[in-house]
Formats: sequence, structure tokens, C-alpha cells
Amino acid sequence: MRAHRHPAARVALGLLIPILLLALWQAQAEVGGARALAFVPLASIAAAFAELAASGQLLTDAVTTTSRALTGLVLGASAGVLLGIAMGLFRSVDRLIGPLYHAIRQVPLLGWLPLIGLWVGNGEAAKLLIVGLAAFYPTVLNTYEGIVHAERRNTDVGALFGFSRAQLLRHVLLPGALPLILTGLSQAIAFAWIATIGTELLLGAGAGLGATMSLAQAQQRMDVILVAIAITGLIGFTLNTLFARLRGHLLRWQPAIA
Amino acid sequence: MTSNLSRIGFGLAPLVALLLLWQAASAAGLFPPQVLVAPADVVAALLAMWRNGELVAHLSISLTRLLIGFGLGAAAGLAFGTALALSRLAEALFGPLFQALRQVPVLAFLPMLVLLLGIEERFKIVVVAIAAFFPVALAAFDGVRGVPRSHFEVAKLYRTPLLPFLGRILLPAATPPVLTGLRIGLTRAWLVLIACELLAAGSGIGQMMEMARQLFRIDVVLAGVFVSGLIGFLLDRGVKLIERRTLRWKAA
Amino acid sequence: MNVTTLFDTPAAASPPIDGALTIAGLSKDFTVGGRSLPVLDGIDLVVRPGEFVSIVGPSGCGKSTLLRLVAGLDTDFAGEIRLDGKRITGTDLDRGLIFQDHRLFPWMTLEENVGLALLNSSIPKAQRARIVAEHIALLNLAGFEKAYPHQLSGGMAQRGAIARALVTEPKLLLLDEPLGALDALTRIHVQTELQRIWLRQRSTMLMVTHDVEEAVYLSDRVIIMGAKPGRIRRIVDIDLPHPRERSLPQLHRLRDEILAELIQPVPTPGEPENLVRLPVREAM
Repeated sequence: MRAHRHPAARVALGLLIPILLLALWQAQAEVGGARALAFVPLASIAAAFAELAASGQLLTDAVTTTSRALTGLVLGASAGVLLGIAMGLFRSVDRLIGPLYHAIRQVPLLGWLPLIGLWVGNGEAAKLLIVGLAAFYPTVLNTYEGIVHAERRNTDVGALFGFSRAQLLRHVLLPGALPLILTGLSQAIAFAWIATIGTELLLGAGAGLGATMSLAQAQQRMDVILVAIAITGLIGFTLNTLFARLRGHLLRWQPAIA
Repeated sequence: MTSNLSRIGFGLAPLVALLLLWQAASAAGLFPPQVLVAPADVVAALLAMWRNGELVAHLSISLTRLLIGFGLGAAAGLAFGTALALSRLAEALFGPLFQALRQVPVLAFLPMLVLLLGIEERFKIVVVAIAAFFPVALAAFDGVRGVPRSHFEVAKLYRTPLLPFLGRILLPAATPPVLTGLRIGLTRAWLVLIACELLAAGSGIGQMMEMARQLFRIDVVLAGVFVSGLIGFLLDRGVKLIERRTLRWKAA
Repeated sequence: MNVTTLFDTPAAASPPIDGALTIAGLSKDFTVGGRSLPVLDGIDLVVRPGEFVSIVGPSGCGKSTLLRLVAGLDTDFAGEIRLDGKRITGTDLDRGLIFQDHRLFPWMTLEENVGLALLNSSIPKAQRARIVAEHIALLNLAGFEKAYPHQLSGGMAQRGAIARALVTEPKLLLLDEPLGALDALTRIHVQTELQRIWLRQRSTMLMVTHDVEEAVYLSDRVIIMGAKPGRIRRIVDIDLPHPRERSLPQLHRLRDEILAELIQPVPTPGEPENLVRLPVREAM
């Protein structure tokens, strides 16, 4: 019996465990008492979703958090690509900035929050700084690697056709580094998303999925928290998938990996 | 050896220069003390906290949380990932759920876990374990799945018994990606632990920093940034060393 | 073996006037682990405008290094290299180089790859597209302008590389084992094509190859190099008119002669005589 080879059977098997877990959750909820506080009935999760969706709060939160993540991503990643190129092209920049970059990178991202809080307060600037930093690290590293490890076979061709430094960068180094730069960007997206949720949670206040979760925790609204978690996962997944599409399009010149 | 040392010296030179510059700027009163204090003050704060035992207490509690949580999460991740890779049935059962949960940033689970577990030790250890679980499970799955078919065929050809097969073939072949997964898991566990301690704790490096922030003790905050960075660096470097030792058989 | 002279050939509308390569006293050392290793030692060579010269020799005789020096990719050498009297100090569009691998940029279509060679040429922008299209057609690649290199077969990609090298109309084309990575049949096709193009363009060609048959078929002269350090051992004239027939008996005789020269070991005293006379095989 190899039932799990059949596609329909696979879907059924894949749903089995989640359904079991949900049933277990519901059972816990029905026991009542202190547990009912944590294990809210499934029906009330659905109700919370409907309520949040109808009031428009869910949309506001999702849009706020997503645009915050994307703003930080664009700022951090563009700074990261520029620095990565500079470090890759110029030894002096690499010598000067490299050690500093690697030192700063060791600090756990959210460990900067207390310091940044003292510097710029707990507002939007603090959040964007952390999100930007989250996107910055992987883009610098990957861009640098891509530029520094440009293949001799490609740069030779550039030399043969008398390319200037700028032409070499534009036509040889950057396209050659593109696969790695895109890898850096996909990591940046994941990190920026985590950082956005993290800063919203820790700095509370204002709109955003993290802030809503934080508030719901204070109000012991498990149903709201669960809805926010689901939406967080869904948006993260969508961002990753959309970027994977873009990456595939930009790298269409690469032979398909067998 | 000497050239290695001099290279490290060269690498550190800009950092040292920056510290000196920072010290000079602070001494000249370029920064208001509530914005940035001199590196010497940070060192002084570190020394003071070291002497009165505060730093050691915070550090040891944070590291204990990290090690227990990481140990549990990594072990669970290894077992789970390997099982999923070896059994198509396990993959069909747990794969979709795993992939779905993986989409959620671990930090997003914090409020839910606070409600389920409270904010005591249990909570922090579970969070750290979850942070370690996902990357390790993924790496174990990829590592075992990535073992070339030819290895299995050789084992079949020579009728290698299961245990030697696991120990002599599967384990060495899957080790490199798993070690990388462990390293990522450890770094992520440290990040999440600091976040947890910032959010809700009575002790630990993160709590130390958060308290200092509320008291406007920027020297202590900077000391915390330094210590957490150093720990992060040592953890990463430690696993990298193990990776290098274990992978000597692989072409560099 | 003087059958006919070069100028009896029916092709070439007018004899080429430039593309004269002069190499004098060329030496090149590599430093390996602190020790200096001679790679090329006292190379003297004069290539006439429009001539096709091949270099054969054992691996490590420095023949690829020689091409890199002439191309201007490596300027650290002793001696002199001049093209039409002008000393070579770096790369220039008057010299093209074709490698063993096609080295088309994978992120560009064939058309873009060929066009990229013209980036710094003096040809007006308006004419470039036409010139690119002509060269793609010249190499029988019309229809594949928009293809990425990974979508081309090995032979097509190499023909693309030839198109890219020719599009700047270099006076001197350097070929570093250009067909070495191709399978035997494709190789013969591209050889024929190379001959046709050379007869049309008549730029000077300097080709490194492992394939003696290929060298003999295409060249006016074949240079045999020895290794450690790389020196010119012998120069063989192939005074046969172009285009040539592969089956020409003279070609086979010359091939056998060169092969014999190549497999002849450096004489060591006391070696038994009968081991030297190996029968000549079909190909290396």
C-alpha cells in the first residue's frame, strides 16, 4: 500500500495532522476554566477574523506593516548593494569598512533597539532603522561576494574589448553578480519581514500586525493574536513567492538547474 | 603564521582608529552624554558590572537559556528533519504543516506563547527552541535528501546493514548542510532570546539593556550591545571551527 | 614541398596590407612559490599580413601564454611584440582573441554579446546593428539572435564567439584552441567555416591548437614548440593553395611529419633506438 503516492491522498494526509491539532485545540477550549483563556474556541477565532476584517483594522494593519517592511527593505537593500559594490571594487573601502561591517553585524539585530530607542525614540524612525539594517546585512555580503569573485574568464573578455571601469561594472561585474545579489535580496526580504514584526512587537504603539498582537496579548485576546499570526505568515509567504517569480524572470538567462 | 597575524592586525586597524576617534570626539564634548558616551566609559561600566558580579549573573542566565533551548530545539529539529527525509509517509503527514508554520517569523509567536506559557523561564526556553528547530529541521531534511542516490546504491550493492549505513554513509554525507543549519539555528536562537529578554524578563543580557535604557544609562546599553555582539560572534565562530574540523575530507 | 605560392590562391580580392606581427626576443617567467619559472624563452617570430599561422606543441610549452601576451591581457614580459610596427602595451580592438570556451556572457543574447564588442569601437551607432547582423549571418547563426548562450549548442556558441571576435574587424585574430571543446564532427564543420571566413576577411590569424590535422589544413605555416622552457623548435611551411581539400595527400604527409616531430622524445643518452620509431596514429 503506497497510498501517499496518490496526489489526492497526499493532500488528505497533509491535512490530517493540522485537523487533529485543531480538534485537540477545540477540545482544550471546551474543557473550560483557566485553559479557555489560552485555548480559545475555533469559532471565536473565525469571529475575530470577521470582526477585524469588517472594521478595516486588519487591512490597515496589513498595509502598515507591509509598507513599513518594504520601505525599510528598499532603504537598507539599496544602501547594502551600493556598499557591497564599493567594497568589491575598491580594496581601500573593503579594508576600511569591512571590519566595521563584520563587527556591527555580530550584534543580534533587536539588541540595537535599546540604543536606537535612546537615540531616536520609539517612533517610525527606530523601526525603519532596524528593518533597514536587517535588509542591509545580507545585501552587502552577497553583493560584495558577487563582485569580488567575478570570473576571470568574463573580465578578460571585457579587457579585450577595451572596457572602462564603468563599462566593466555595468556589462560584466554587475550582471555576473546578479544571481548572488538576488540571493542577498531574498534573504533581505525574509529578515526585513521578521524585523518589522519584531520591532512592532517590542515598540508597541501605532498600527501594524505586531502592535496589534502586542495589544491583544495585554488584553489576553488569543483569537486576535492567532488571526494576526496567520496573516503575518500569509504576507511573508506572498512576498517570498513574488520575489522568487521576479528572480526567475531576471535570471532567465541561466540554464535551468536540472 | 606571521602574515596571518599581520593581516588580522591590518583588519583591526580601522576599528581601533574608529574607537580612538570616538574617544577623542567624546572627550572634546562633541556628543551630548545622553546620546553617546566615550568608549572608556563603556569599558568602565563593563568592568564595574564584571566586578560586582552583575554581568556574570546576566550572562550565565542568558547562556543557560540559550543552551537548553537550543539543545532541545536542535535535537527535535534533527530528528524531525531526518524522519521527514527518510519516510515519504512522514513527509506527506507533516510536510505541509511544517512548510506553513515556517512562513511565520518566530517572533510573531511571542504573544501567543506568552498567553500559553506565561513569561517565566519555560516561555523563553520554548521560544529559543522554536527558533532553533526550524533551520535545523530544514537543514537535516535537505542534508539527508541531498545524499546522492549513488551512495544508497553502493550500500545496496554491498548489502550494508542499517546501522553502519546510517553511521558510515548517511551521517558523514549529511553532516555539512546540517552543521550549517545548526550554525544558523544558533545565531537565530540568540537573536530571538535577546528579543524575548527585551520584551519580558527579570534577568539576562537583554533585560539588562532594556533596564539601562529606561534609566538612560547609555554606557550600560552600549556594554550590552558589545557583550551580545561578542557572544554572537563567538557562537558563530565556534560552530564554524567545528565545521572546518569535521569537513577536512571535503575539498576546500 | 613547395607546390604553389601563397599568391596563386584564387580568393582575396586584394592582398592585405596590415596585420604584420613581429615578436622579438620574447621571454616570460612565472613566479611559483617564490621561484621563477621560465615559460617562454627567446621567441622570435614574424607573421606576414593576412597569414594563417598555427602553433602546436606539448602542454606546458607556453603557447596559450604567448597568445595572452600578444592579446595584451598580460603585459609583464621581456622582449618586444609589435603589430604593424606599433608596440603592444595592452589590449586593443585591432586584436581579437577567441578562447577554447566560447566565453559569451550568459546574461546576454547572442546579438547583445556580439554587439557588446562594438561598445568602444569607432563605428557609428547607427551602423552597428547592421554590422552585428551581418556577422551573425556570416557564421550561419541567423535566426538565433535572441537566443541566450545556454540555448545554443557548443558549436553554435563557439561560432558566436568567432562572430564576436570578428565584428570589430581586428587586423590580427588570435585563436586559443578555439575548437578544442567541440566534438569531432562539429569541429570539422567549424574548421571549414573558419577557412571560408579567413579567405573572405584575410585578417592575420595566429592559432594555438592540439590538433595537428587542423593546423595543417588551415595554416600557411605551422610552428612547433618545445616545452620547459617554451621555445620554437621548428617551423613547417604548408605551401598549398586555399581553400584546401581535406583529402589532399600532401596534407596527410605533412601531418605525419609534424606528429613525428612532436612525439619524438627529447633525446636522452643511452635510450634504445627501437623505442623511438612509433607508428604514427590517426590523431593525437
